[in-house]
Formats: sequence, C-alpha cells, structure tokens
Amino acid sequence: MIVNFDNAATTYPKPDCVKAAVYEAMERYGGNAGRGGHALAAATSEAVYSAREEIASLFGAEPENVVFAMNCTHALNMAIQGIMTGGGHLIISAMEHNSSARPVAKLAADGRITLSVAEVYPEDEKTLASFRSLIRPDTKAIVCTLASNVTGQILPFRAIAQLCRERSICFIADGAQACGIIDVKLSDGINILCTAGHKGLYGITGTGLLVTDGSFPIAPIMQGGTGTDSMSLRQPTLPPESLESGTVGVIGIMSLKAGAEFIRRTGTASIFRHEDAICRRFMHGLSADSRITVYRSPAARYVPIVAFNVEGMTSGEVAARLAEEGYCLRAGYHCSALAHTMLGTENGAVRFSPSYFSREEDAVRLAELIKKL
Amino acid sequence: MSAALPTVRGDNMNKCILEMPSYTYAQKAEKLLRSKGIPSDIKRRSTGCGYVLHVHTDCRAAAHMLDRYGIPYVLRENGGSP
Repeated sequence: MIVNFDNAATTYPKPDCVKAAVYEAMERYGGNAGRGGHALAAATSEAVYSAREEIASLFGAEPENVVFAMNCTHALNMAIQGIMTGGGHLIISAMEHNSSARPVAKLAADGRITLSVAEVYPEDEKTLASFRSLIRPDTKAIVCTLASNVTGQILPFRAIAQLCRERSICFIADGAQACGIIDVKLSDGINILCTAGHKGLYGITGTGLLVTDGSFPIAPIMQGGTGTDSMSLRQPTLPPESLESGTVGVIGIMSLKAGAEFIRRTGTASIFRHEDAICRRFMHGLSADSRITVYRSPAARYVPIVAFNVEGMTSGEVAARLAEEGYCLRAGYHCSALAHTMLGTENGAVRFSPSYFSREEDAVRLAELIKKL
Repeated sequence: MSAALPTVRGDNMNKCILEMPSYTYAQKAEKLLRSKGIPSDIKRRSTGCGYVLHVHTDCRAAAHMLDRYGIPYVLRENGGSP
C-alpha cells in the first residue's frame, strides 16, 4: 500500500486526462515544435501553441507570454537573472524556497545585486510593513512565494503586488504551492509568475512555467536555437522563443495542457475545499496529542500543507516510521533554509500535503498512526 | 516591427505575405485573422528559417488588424518571396 501525502513535492497520482495526453503526445506529436514546415512539425507546433493558449487562459495572460521551463527553479532563475541584469536592489521574503533564495544569494555574493530579506508574520499587515520598510529608490524587484512550501502559509501577495505597482518594481511570484489550488491571475498584480507544472497543475515532472505580463523585459540566461532568424548570431528578443532556446519538451507540455484543463474543469475552489478538509481532519486527529507541534497560526491563511513535529523524534525518524506503513511524507528542510530558520525548526519538520486525489480516511488513519509513534 | 503598407493599389493588394517573428506569433496572427474573417496560412519561409503568413483576401485589413492587436510582422509586398 502506498498513500502519497507528499504532493507538495510533486503530485501523484495524475488525472487520467494527463496520462492520456502523454500517450497522445507520444503517438501524434513527434515533430519539433517551431522548427520545420512539414506535417509532423506543423501538428506539433499547433499542439504546443494550444497548450500556451490553455495556460494563458488559466492565468489571464497572452499565449506568447507563456514560457515553458524545466521546473519552477528554472523559471525563477530565468526571471530573477533576466530582470536583475545590470544590478539593483532586490527583496525576497523569509519564506522563500532555495529556488529563489540561492540564485539571489549568488547574485549578491558576486556583488551584482544588493539583497534584503523581508520577515514574514502570521499577520498580513506586519508582513506587508516588513516589505514596505525595505523598499529603496533602487529596488528593482520583489521575489515572493505565494504560499510557503514548508507551512503552506499564504503570503499577502496582492498587497505586495500593489506596493510594487505603485513604485514600478517588478513583482516576481513563486506559485509552486499555490497554482492550481488557489486562483492566481496576472491581474493580481503579478508581473512574472513562475511555477512548477508537476505539482498543483498535475503535469508530469520536468515541467515548469514562466508567465509574464510583458511589462518588464526578461534578458535570456541561455542562448541557442529558436527556429527563427537562424543566420543571425543574436538571440531573438521576443518571448516565448527568446527564453526557450533548444527543443521544448512536447510531451511534458501536453501533459501540462491536460493538467490545466483539469484545473479549469474542476475549479480551484473545489480543489482547495477538498484538500483543506483533509488537512483539517488530519490536524483534528493530531490535536489531542501534546507531543505534536503543528506549525500553523490562527492569524494566517494556508494552502493545504501541514508541517509538524513529534517531540522526542527527528522529522526523519517520523517520516521513516510512516514510510514503513506505506505513507509518503517529506521530512527535513524541504529545500527551504530561510523558512526553517525563521520557524526555528533546527531539525526540520514533517510535511503532510494531500492532493485532489487524496482521501480523508487515509489522513485519519495516518493521524492515528502518528499518535502511536 | 510592422512595415508601412505599400502604395501600390489593385488586385495584388488582396494577397500578401507577412513575415512573422516566430511560429507563436504566426499562430496567434492566423487565429486572430480567421476570427475576423480573413483567411491565411502559416508557411515556412522559402529561404532560411522562420514562418510567414500568406494572406489570401484582404491584405490591408489583415495588416490593420495585426497593428491593432500589437502583433509584430514585416509586410512583404504582393506576395514577394521573403
């Protein structure tokens, strides 16, 4: 028996429509998108464009502003390095995943940018004040996760976006734990949305997205073949191709299209409601045990993630014991040095993260099992 | 990126080739024009890499529409080879 409660890492299982899309892509879209004019290339190119349209519709973007990436880390690197070329001041939150924190730390260590880290509080007003206090005349961008991958806390991203808009600062959002679970649109004030394709959007692994409103030009971090203007040694300047050098991953892209269609049909409100109910049942199951600490505050809002620890055991020991019973949960630091430092979880934590396909009865059984550890 | 329309008038202006910056923009332009009743076809450029849009009926209207929607293109007069 395998029960996956590690969906914040990557969702499993995938919807049937995603599996079918992968098979169809293997069967029908064997050309190289945006290259060549023969029937196979044309069919593949049309299919990839249709995926751009579907994803653009999901986030309120234009199709040409949907850039396919390998994963969210890739998209964030493109956005951060592409915007901060030429230097400037950048602010991140204290909840950022290493996918943001490491690229900005590297730029800062190399002396190419200056960096500030905004504290995050359960209360949105205090978090917002923290960001506001750090803005300087040379602040070029704010990078902020929409929801923490450790605790699931939703950050006040619409208010932060408003801060950015008032000061012509580029707002780069990490939507890895939010997209597909809460409604996210560029009209929320996000200039560049980076997200994984294989988490809440239910695509296969190896997929990610950068979706931009086009208001801040993004310098490519990689150059190469784009299928156009091939006799020029200069990289094209227009997205998406300017940011998609090399052959795109057609099978993954078609899985992502199917995942986006699944989200649209099901609705983020329905998905959130289902997963949130499972989290609440899980936390209710744990609540009677004083040895268990759950990292949630009544003052904050959360996506369906529950981080916890069991007194007297390391997070790794807890996850290993649960794995023996077939439960998949993630222990340790979740690639989030800043978040765990802020939480004071020096031994990490155990993370419970359901998906739309998870069942309440499994969460209840898991809680019972944890109490017996 | 868009070019001024040629001053030549007549039947030839019903057809033209629009050079597009990428397949993505070619697809976007073709769909937009089709929705406005202006048929066109995406073709591979006859020389080099890239994509063009063959407009069959009303070049002026097609160019106007792409300008209006901010879709970049370069006009090749009267179907001349790009």
